[in-house]
Amino acid sequence: MHFRPLLYLDPGSGSFLIQIAIAALLGLAVAFRASWSTIKKWMGIKSKPEEDDDDTDDK
Amino acid sequence: MTTQTTNSGQAQQSRGQLAASFRDPSGFLFSRSGILYRQVNRSYAEEYSRLMESGLYEKLVKAGLLIPHVEVEQVSAEAEAALKIIQPERVPFISYPYEWSFGELKSAALATLSIQKRALKLGMSLKDASAYNIQFMRGKATLIDTLSFEIYKEGEPWVAYRQFCQHFLAPLALMALTDVRLSQLLRVYIDGVPLDLASELLPSKTRFNFGLLTHIHLHAGAQKKYSGEEVRSRSGSMSKQAMTGLIESLESTIQKLDWTPRGTEWGNYYDITNYSDAAFEHKKQLVGEWTKRLQPKIAWDLGANNGVFSRVVSSAGPYVVSFDIDPAAVEQNYRQMKNDKTENLLPLLLDLTNPTPAIGWANRERESFGARGPADMVLALALIHHLAISNNVPLPQLADFFAETGKWLVIEFVPKPDSQVQKLLVSRKDIFPNYTRGGFEAAFKEKFTIHAAVEVRESERVLYLMESR
Repeated sequence: MHFRPLLYLDPGSGSFLIQIAIAALLGLAVAFRASWSTIKKWMGIKSKPEEDDDDTDDK
Repeated sequence: MTTQTTNSGQAQQSRGQLAASFRDPSGFLFSRSGILYRQVNRSYAEEYSRLMESGLYEKLVKAGLLIPHVEVEQVSAEAEAALKIIQPERVPFISYPYEWSFGELKSAALATLSIQKRALKLGMSLKDASAYNIQFMRGKATLIDTLSFEIYKEGEPWVAYRQFCQHFLAPLALMALTDVRLSQLLRVYIDGVPLDLASELLPSKTRFNFGLLTHIHLHAGAQKKYSGEEVRSRSGSMSKQAMTGLIESLESTIQKLDWTPRGTEWGNYYDITNYSDAAFEHKKQLVGEWTKRLQPKIAWDLGANNGVFSRVVSSAGPYVVSFDIDPAAVEQNYRQMKNDKTENLLPLLLDLTNPTPAIGWANRERESFGARGPADMVLALALIHHLAISNNVPLPQLADFFAETGKWLVIEFVPKPDSQVQKLLVSRKDIFPNYTRGGFEAAFKEKFTIHAAVEVRESERVLYLMESR
């Protein structure tokens, strides 16, 4: 994978690498959550309503 | 739409370009006749049109997360590079992260992540996550840099991840879990708290918190290990799902961080004051009357505590910046402001004996406290004894300072027999022979015209209304 070489901020090599590693793990969690809600739906369990997109997430 | 006026002292480079606006090649800020404009460069054409046409701009502005702007006809000094000139809405008062309370920095962090989430849904991503790009408008943390977006390319990591952790996550974690005063590290480290330093200062139990373990401790370790290495050959790609996971993880880590004021210097000051309800009400009444008479646009309340008198002023219309030295009072003030949905109040942390300096490149990127003035009206209630006695500032120097800070001054003189002053003198020699009502008036008459001097009911204090000459 080649990233665009000329970024105006230096993202930092270590920050890039650790981010990819952490995100891979967290991405799995997101995928799991998505399939879990499909399973729940299939079983007829109501899940919590999706967070309203137009609210700020600042609680 | 209101216009953005730059303050008289605002640092500008030649050709009207603002000194803080040089890093991003996508455009820059400049001022003409006191109005602030932003040039969008041709190189940013694709990103700008995606922002405006995808619905992202509208969505963010509607949510109060992005500064609204209008496109205008105006010629800049670098017209050949210009795609468009935009005029952003006026920010009533520019503040900096080292002046924010815990809650304010947290709101700014969550606003940044909320923007990134919305941007990703519409095919864009934040190319920076600087705390300086957030300002408080209508009481909400708002992104003021319209050129912060880039086109999202699936597979690429978040360029601003390091910056987000340094500007937001690290200081918030330190404030919540080590000491709230560590927000002042941001004053030294303009690009955010170095993660190795945060990692060292955080309690070791934070290694058992998944978010802090990964985004700070392991992140700091990786930075050290791979410093200066090229990433291309060894990195993989990052799916959109992974990106979403990353943003949500940062969000939940920050949401769980909390700091509640306790055992503070001033937190319960109004419960332990030495004056009666009648005196308190009388002061409120005078401040309210004078505000209505003067109709200032912007007022600064110095030594505002949790903002009781700031609210008396703001409820009459002016925008009030409410400064205090105590992080707990500022936090309380911010929480109440948020709760009441007050739009014209901004609580900020400030030590008047060592006010915010100008920092950054050539000391011109971030302005000092004084350069952001003068205010139309300054409130200095129950303050002067702290400056004159605790900090030994001679009265003529105080008069000079206040005269530079605002046009109108509402100031309370707290005489020596007052028990609050006696407390300050209890452990030291009284070296203040001039600290009397007469001495105070003589010193301030050099710089001000005294329009009113009212003795506060059931107290020995005097409230003055003065106009600087």
